[in-house]
Parts: sequence; C-alpha cells; structure tokens
Amino acid sequence: MSISIKNVTRRFGNFVALDNVSLEIQTGELVALLGPSGSGKTTLLRIIAGLDAPDSGSVHFDHEETSNLSVRERNVGFVFQHYALFRHMTVFENIAFGLRVRPRRSRPSEKEIRKRVEDLLKLVQLEWAGGRFPSQLSGGQRQRIALARALAVEPRVLLLDEPFGALDAHVREELRRWLRRLHDEMHITGVFVTHDQEEALEVANRVVVLNGGHIEQVGTPEELYHHPASPFVYNFLGNVNLFHGRVRNGKVYVRETQIAVDGNDGNDSNHNELNGSQDQPAMVYVRPHLLDIHTKPHGRNSFPAVVTHINAAGPKVKVELTSGWGDPVQVELDHERFRELGIERDAHVFLSARENRVFVYNI
Amino acid sequence: METPKPEIPKVTLPQMETLTETSARIASRSGPPSPASATVEPRWARWALIGTAVAFLSLFLLLPLVAVFTEAFRLGVGLYVAAITDPDALSAIRLTLLTAAIAVPLNTIFGLAAAWSITRFEFPGKNLLGTLIDLPFAVSPVIAGLIFVLLLGARSHLGGWLNAHDINIIFAAPGIIIATAFVTFPFVARELIPVMDAAGIDEELAALTLGASGWQMFIRVTLPKIKWGLLYGIVICNARAMGEFGAVSVVSGHIRGLTNTMPLAVEILYNDYQFSAAFAVASLLTLLALITLGAKAILDRREELKIRRSLIVDRTNLAA
Repeated sequence: MSISIKNVTRRFGNFVALDNVSLEIQTGELVALLGPSGSGKTTLLRIIAGLDAPDSGSVHFDHEETSNLSVRERNVGFVFQHYALFRHMTVFENIAFGLRVRPRRSRPSEKEIRKRVEDLLKLVQLEWAGGRFPSQLSGGQRQRIALARALAVEPRVLLLDEPFGALDAHVREELRRWLRRLHDEMHITGVFVTHDQEEALEVANRVVVLNGGHIEQVGTPEELYHHPASPFVYNFLGNVNLFHGRVRNGKVYVRETQIAVDGNDGNDSNHNELNGSQDQPAMVYVRPHLLDIHTKPHGRNSFPAVVTHINAAGPKVKVELTSGWGDPVQVELDHERFRELGIERDAHVFLSARENRVFVYNI
Repeated sequence: METPKPEIPKVTLPQMETLTETSARIASRSGPPSPASATVEPRWARWALIGTAVAFLSLFLLLPLVAVFTEAFRLGVGLYVAAITDPDALSAIRLTLLTAAIAVPLNTIFGLAAAWSITRFEFPGKNLLGTLIDLPFAVSPVIAGLIFVLLLGARSHLGGWLNAHDINIIFAAPGIIIATAFVTFPFVARELIPVMDAAGIDEELAALTLGASGWQMFIRVTLPKIKWGLLYGIVICNARAMGEFGAVSVVSGHIRGLTNTMPLAVEILYNDYQFSAAFAVASLLTLLALITLGAKAILDRREELKIRRSLIVDRTNLAA
C-alpha cells in the first residue's frame, strides 16, 4: 500500500510539531523518519496511524483519503517503543488479541487463530514463549512479540515508533538485521521512527530527515550520506568538523589556507554554490576520516595543528587536535597510516582535507 | 570485626551444592555484616516500638471492639436476637443496605468516569475537577447534609416544586441516599487515579490499532489492569456508605421504621437507655465493617502474591 502525506500541519499550543509536510511512500518501501527529538517524526507516524489528527492537510492510503477513518478502521500495525504488550495476557493471547476482537462474522475459528499465532511465533523465533507472560521476557523478546501481534491482523502498513530505542546496543543491532530480513521477505510497506542515524541508514530503503517540523531531505541512505542537502543533514549523519571561512573567487579559505574542494568530478553542488558567490563568509564541513595528518607542510592546502589526544582503541585511530587558530579538530586515521606517522601527544602537525562540503551563508 | 563462627554442617556432596547455598554459607561464616543488619536498631528499641504500637492498637481498637460485642450479649443471646429482629432495627438494616446498594454503584461509575477523564484527557478545568473530587473529604458531613436540606428542603424553590409534585426527598430515603452518595464519591476516583496514571495509555492505544472497539478496549485491556484498584475503592466506599452518620443524620429526620439507618438507630436506642439493643445493632455494623476490612485484606494479599509469583517466575527464568 502506498501512503501520501499532503501538506500536513500539526500544532501543540504554540509549538509547531509539523509544518506543512508532504511525503510520498511507495508500496513495499521501508522508510525511516530520522531526526532529533522534537523534530516531529513521532507526530508524523502517529498521524499516519490515526492516533493523532493533523490540524490541516491530509493522509491518503492508496489514494483513499483517511481523515474519516478511525484508528481501528485503518488497519495499520503499530509497534510502540515500550512494547505496550497486554501484561495480564499470555504471549499467545497478546498475539491473538487482534483476531479475537473482530466481529463474529469475520472472526477466524479457534483452530485458525491457534495456527496463525503459532506461525507468527515461529516467524519471530519465539515458539516456546506462547504460555509466558510479557514480564517474563527480555526487552528484545518483548519487542518481537509486539511485532508479531501487530502482524497478526495482516496490516496494510507497519508503523514502528523507535522500535529499538529501549534495547541495549548488542540486541539492537541483531534486531535491526532481523527486521531488514523480515521486510525483505514480507514486502509490507513500513515506516519507522528513529533518532539513530546509523539505524536509519542501515535498515531503511529511504530515509526522511526531519528537523523542527519540516523535511530537510528525502533520499536513499547513499544519497543522504554522500550528498547531504543542508548543513543540518550533514551534521546529523555522523561526526563532522566545522570551520568558519570565506569564499573568494570561487575558492574557499579558512584563514589564509585554501581548503581543497572535492576537485575533479564536478558533480557536486559545491561548485554551483561557490561559483555564484563573491567573497562571503562560509561554513566548511569536513568529516574526521576525510582529513589527513602530515608531519610537514603539505602544499598550500594544509594548516598547522597540535595533537591533544589519541584514542587508538577501535577500528580507526581517533586523533583530537587544536588548529593553529584554536578550534578543536577531530581526525580518524587507519592504524597503518597512524604507525607510519609515528605521532604522539603535543606533536606539531599539518592537516589537509581530502574532500569536503562547503555551505555558503546567504547574506 | 570478629564474629563467632557458627557450626557449619559438613557437606557430603560438595559438587551438588548450589550457588545460593555457597554464598549463604560464605555470608554466614565471616565478612562484614550485611547492609541490612547494619541499619537494624538494637533489640530493645525494636521491642519498644512494637510494644507501643500493639498497646495503642489494643487500647483504642481492640478494647472497644471487644466491648461492643460483650455489651451486646450482656443480657443474653435471646435479647440480642430480639433486638436485631425488632421491626425498627430490621427497617434500619434494610435502609442501610439499600443506601449502600445504590450509592456504591453510582460512585463506582462516577469514579471510573472521573479517573478516566483526569488521567486520559487534557481539558480546561482539569485541576479544578481534581480538587472538587476531594471536596467531600474537606467538608464536614453535617454541613454536606445541611446543604441538601437547604437545596431540596420545603423552604427552597426546588423543594417547593418537589412538594407540589408530591416527591419527598428530604426526610425520606432518597435524601439519605443522595447525602451518602455525596459523602462517599471521592473514594473510588481517588483509588483509581494513581493506578490509571501509573498504567499509562499505550496498551489502550495498541488495542485500538489492533481493531478493538472502545468497549472491547475497556473490558479486555483497561479493566483487568485496574481491577484491584477498583475493587479496593469499592470496598472502602462501601464501608463509608454503611457507616455514614453526620450527613445522613441531618437529612433523615429520624423517623423510626422509615428513615433510620443503622448508625442512626444505634444513637436513638442509646439515647433511650436501651444499651443492649444499641450495642446489638452496633455489633452488626461492626461485623459489616470487619467483613469489609477482611475483603480488603484478601485483596491486598492477592495483589502481593501476584507480585511475588511474578518475581519468582522471573528468577527461575533467569536461572534457566
């Protein structure tokens, strides 16, 4: 089922949670709504589910207007952050709930219900848990039961509100991969809310980045990562160093150092932004792994810095430095390159950017 | 710190020893005192505290309780039975039970509605409603009774209209029921509000997304969650409804055999120097209170058992 959201606005008192948001979700997609808290992502999910109503705008399921449909008529599967399992019912009865509350005409027989629940328990790999109560299961197990319960009613769309938010890192990673596989097998349209960029990039087909009630960017994980549309998106999708510089004659300078701008492929919006701008202040964003450290000045494009901290525990060596003009800088290096350099704390070094992304202030 | 080593029974099969046994043995053998024992008061302080509590309870609760029953039976079982089967006494018992039977369900419905709206909705005047629910706690029952006399009595406009239509409320059973309902209305709501606040709303929302109707959601999800809180509220509400004196006394008019409830009957008999009869009716009222308290204790115990059982299950689950 496809979902289209048209000009949705939602206010809570003076706070604008969603500001004229429009979005198309295709059948079978798994879309992540990504943003910091207060960005409106959960409100948007609840409006799709019918748990909240927009002040203006509309939501369409397969071109059908939904504003007259109540939650129970929308046939959505909703998975809550804190599971919301019925604590006085066994796991079996939790999953069977959606089938048992149907009107007698459409209610499956007891035998069919049993079969259905057992199939779902197998799907979430908890066949043994049918007779247990939710309080007897771990967080990850509870979330899988919540998912099975939502799937039992054969929903047209699966909506997940921070599904892994309350779980520890290890279980979260496992469940992420599992959800990805489950979606690949079932091809159900899915929307999930997360504030974890890694989760969004890893699980979703398409990511919607929200900020302050409006959409910053919509795209595949690759598009978002390599071509972020705004400083906010760039900032939100991973660590970043920020330099304040100026643009002169289409070139970017931080103090007197010219920072290389992803030179030759020419596909970047960078060039367009730079060409049109004459001597303006600019913000220069560089990811830590795109900076390199040298022991000697490296052409005109390097600037001096002092090493303040080294953390070599991890897949990459994280080096913290202070630039010649006093700003903190983070660099990530391969272990091999780090050994080659042989640097220590308080070493005077030179930094150069391999690639970066520049945003020009409009003054 | 040196502690005398207790005798440790010889373990014949050390490899069969469970982990808890081992740790218990280690704990009992040596090492610093456990945190629990470090905070425990000396023995004399413990006994002094327990003694004070028990003496106080005996003096102010147990002694009067015993007195009620001994006084009631002082002139023999025959007179006791005669006292409580007296037509006036029977009428008082009937009216008390009728009052409770109407006031308690009414306040159960009101309590559910009030607790639901206060914990589930945002609306202007929500805080005011929360405060108003407590009003009967704050107002003296006598004043509550007086309010209804002024509002519905013969001298008010409303009372005049009711009189003209031959409807008797004040100095009749309806007035007693209204006054009792007023005095007892906070009990169910006050029990439910914290329970429903703590339970949250996610389960209800989940039920709706799964296709449940509002009624199905209430019966299958909300009610099981709050049932102990609800029953507890009903029990307390019932105890007060049967025992209410002040408000009822003002609106009743004390017409023997017609508008006397049990507490009023006790007072009238006592004032007539019929002490044994007064204590006989009082003993019945006390018995009703004891039954109510017993029901409450059973509910408490069930809740506690449920919690303990789920803990035990959790522990075995972890061990597995």
